[in-house]
Amino acid sequence: MTGVVAESASQARAPGVGALAGIKVLDFGQMVSAPYCAKLFSDYGADVIKVEPPGGDVARQMGPFPGDVVHPEKSGLYFINNTNKRGVTCDVSVAAGRELFMGLLRWADVLIENNLPQKMRAWNLSYAQLQAINPNLVMISITPFGQTGPYSGWNGYDLNAFHLTGTSSRYCGRPGEMPLEHGTFSADYYGAIAGATWGMAAVYGRDLVGGGQLVDVSCAEAIAATFVGGQNIGLVAQEGRFDKRTGVGMPLGAPATIVPCKDGHVWMLALERGQWDGLCKVMGDPEWASLEMFQDMFVRAQNADIMYSFINEWTAQHTKMEIMEKCQAAGCPITAVFTIAEAAEQPHLKARDYFVDIEHPDLGRVRNLGAPFKLPACPGGPVRPAPRLGQHNAEVYGRLLGLSNAELAALKGKGVI
Amino acid sequence: MSKTLPLKGIRVINLGWVWAGPVVGQTLAFLGAEVLKIESRQRLDMTRTLPPFAEGKPGPDRSLSNHACWAGNGSVSLNLKEPEARELALRLIAHSDVVVENFGPGAMERLDMGYDRLKQVKPDIILFSMPAAGLTGPLEHVRTYGLSLTSLTGLDSLVGYKGGGPIPVENAFSDPLAGIFGAFAVLAALNHRRNTGQGQHVDFSQQEAVMQMVGPAYMDYVLNGRVGGPKGNEHPLNAAAPHSVFPCRGDDRWISIAVQTDAEWEGLKSAMGDPAWAQGQAFSMLKARLANIDALHAHIAEWTAQHDDRVLAEELQRHGVAAAPVLNCGDLLTDPHYKARGTFVEVQHPLGFRETIYGAYVKMSRTPPEVRPGPYIGQDNDHAFKEVLGLSDERYRDLVERKIIY
Repeated sequence: MTGVVAESASQARAPGVGALAGIKVLDFGQMVSAPYCAKLFSDYGADVIKVEPPGGDVARQMGPFPGDVVHPEKSGLYFINNTNKRGVTCDVSVAAGRELFMGLLRWADVLIENNLPQKMRAWNLSYAQLQAINPNLVMISITPFGQTGPYSGWNGYDLNAFHLTGTSSRYCGRPGEMPLEHGTFSADYYGAIAGATWGMAAVYGRDLVGGGQLVDVSCAEAIAATFVGGQNIGLVAQEGRFDKRTGVGMPLGAPATIVPCKDGHVWMLALERGQWDGLCKVMGDPEWASLEMFQDMFVRAQNADIMYSFINEWTAQHTKMEIMEKCQAAGCPITAVFTIAEAAEQPHLKARDYFVDIEHPDLGRVRNLGAPFKLPACPGGPVRPAPRLGQHNAEVYGRLLGLSNAELAALKGKGVI
Repeated sequence: MSKTLPLKGIRVINLGWVWAGPVVGQTLAFLGAEVLKIESRQRLDMTRTLPPFAEGKPGPDRSLSNHACWAGNGSVSLNLKEPEARELALRLIAHSDVVVENFGPGAMERLDMGYDRLKQVKPDIILFSMPAAGLTGPLEHVRTYGLSLTSLTGLDSLVGYKGGGPIPVENAFSDPLAGIFGAFAVLAALNHRRNTGQGQHVDFSQQEAVMQMVGPAYMDYVLNGRVGGPKGNEHPLNAAAPHSVFPCRGDDRWISIAVQTDAEWEGLKSAMGDPAWAQGQAFSMLKARLANIDALHAHIAEWTAQHDDRVLAEELQRHGVAAAPVLNCGDLLTDPHYKARGTFVEVQHPLGFRETIYGAYVKMSRTPPEVRPGPYIGQDNDHAFKEVLGLSDERYRDLVERKIIY
C-alpha cells in the first residue's frame, strides 16, 4: 500500500494543468465507447491507465491501418481513442491477473468499462464485488443495452444499440427502404459522452453523497430517451400515433434537404421569409421563384419536386463553398456538406487549433482531432500518443503496485501480462 | 440510496434556448444542480409552440416535446430587453456557479452580460458558451439549423445508401448530444474551480464536439488519404460482416445483425439451418464475407424476411449472435426493455395534466434523480426573486406589473 501512496503523490499534477487533475481512472474497455469515455478523462488531465487483455484491445485489429496492412500498433481507431493514457496488459480470467487488477482497482477513483455484463460476472468483476474492495469506486459501465432489463444479457454492438432507439426508423432513410445509421459508431459515442458526464458528476459529488456508485449507461437508452423520446414520446403516449422517416430533411417546410451541386452537396435551408429572399437574391431573383406556388415554406413543401428541379438547376452550376458563402452572407443558413477531407482541412478549424500533431513510435507524426471543447484556464486535448501494448507494465505494476522485476518476469512468463 | 444528489448546492443560470442549451441544464439538474432557466413571454421560445400539446389544448406551457426536452430546468421569467431585467439576472448570477448560453458569439456582450461583466458580479463564475462553430474563427457567425450543423463536421457525408449521395438525418442529433457533452464540460470546469478557485469562459463549439464522432473516418483520411462516403449500415471500418439491418415479416419491420467474430458467424449459420450457400469459400472467412458482402446480405435478407423481428432476435441471441429488432417510435413505449428500465415515465404537471417524458437516461445506483415535469414559464419566480434575491412582495409585484418579470 505504501507503493500506492508514493505513486499517487508523484503522479499528482500541479493545479492548473488539467481540469480533471488528480482523478485516477482505469479504462477496462475496448473499441469505442469505454475508451472514448476514458479519453475524455485523460485528455482533460486525469491519470488514466488502460488495462488490456494480453491480446490487446480489439480496436487494434480494426484499423484503419496505413496501407491497409494490419498491425496492432498502427490502428487508427486505437490511436484516436486512447491518447494521454498509460497502458498495461492483464489477463483477468486467471487468479494472478485478477489480483493485479484488484491492486489497480484500490488505486482508482473511477473504472470505465464496456464489457457485456455476463462477461464481467464470469470474471468475478461485477459492481457488487468491486464495490466491496473499493467502496469509493465510481464504476461507469457502458454497454449497448445496459446492466438491467430483458436485453441486458444479449450480445450486441453499436449497430444493434443504434437501431433499437427509433432514430433510424424515424429520422434516417427513405420510406420503404432500410433505416440507416450514420456511418460511424454513433451509439457508442453517444453512450461514451453520457457516461463521462454522469460519471464525472458521481466523482465530483462522491464525498457529498457518501461514496462511489455504479453508473449504468445503455447506449440505446441514452439515444432513445434524449433524442427520439424527447421529440416523439409525448405524441406516442397521448395520441397513440407516430411518424417515420421521409428521406427528406423536413417534410413540412421547404427547401430543407440536402441537394447536389457542382462539386458535391449542400444543405439547402431557406424556410423563413428572409432566408428565402436571401436565397432568391443569390440565385439572381429568377422568375419562377416569384410564382404563387413558392410563396411560403408550406406551399413550397407541397410543390417541392418542381421547386427542387429549379433549385438543382442552379446549384449544379455552382460549388458548395460558393453557395455557402453567398447564401450565408445573404442571411440564409445554407451550408456545404463537407466531405471528410474538406472537414479535415477546414481553415476555420485550423485557425482554432482544432487539429493536433502527435508523434507516435510506430505511426510517426500523425494528425489527430484535438480537444472537443476549449477550457482557457486549463486547456485539454491529446498530447501523448496512445500506449503500445503493455508499454507501462513495468512502471505501473512496479512503481504503483510494488512488484519486483522477478515477479513481473514470472507474470509475463505465465502470460498474465 | 442517497437523497443527496452529487451536484447539490450548485446553482446554474441557464440562458440556453431551443434544444441543446436546455439539455445542458436538464442534465445538470438530473445530477442535483438547481437550474434556473431564464426565458420570457416577450420572446417565446419556438419549442414552446410546437404541437402536440397536453390534452390537445394549445398553449406555451403545454408543448409535450418541449417539456420532455426541458424537464429538470426551472423557469424564471425575465424580459431581458429591459435593463432592469438584466440587472436582476446579474444579481441571480452573483448567487450562482454556472451560466449556460447557446446564443451566437457576441450576443452576451450585447446584453451587457459578457464574461467580463459576469466576473464583476461573481469572480469565479463559469460561463459556458456553446455557439455552432465556437466563439472565434472564420466561421464564428455561421448560420445552421441543428439538423444541418453536422454537415460542417463531415458526418453528413457518411450517411446514406451504399454508392448513393448523402441522405439527411431528419432532426438535430447533435442538439441533445451537445447538450449532454456540454454538461461534461461544465463539470470539468467545476472540478478545475474546486482545484484552483478559478472560474473560466468555456468555448464549446458544437461543430468540434460533434466532429469527435467522425474520428474513425477521419483517421482513414489522415492515414490513407481515403475519403469515406455512404455505405448503408455496413461496419464503419469494414471489419465485420454481415453488418446491416434486414427486412422482417410485416410492414417496415427490420432486424439488425452484426457479426464480428468467427463464433458469431457459426452461430448465425446454425440459426439459419446451415444453408448450402453459407458453406462455401465465398463466406467462410471474414475477409471473404467482406469481399462478397452484397451477396451475403442478400442471402440473409431472404431468410430474415420470413420471420418476425422479435422472435428472430431472440432466436439469434440464443445462438450467440448480436441481433436486435429495429424499433420505431411507437415501439419505444411498449418495448419490454425500456419498460423494465423505466426509460419513459408519466408525471403529473402542476398545471393539472399528465405527461409522458423521459427520466434518468443513465442509471445511478446511489443517486437516482428526481424526475420533474417540464417547467411552466416563471414557475420558479417566487424562489428566485423572493428567496434567493430577497425582494419584497411589493417590489416583486411592481416588477411583474411593469413586465420586467414577464
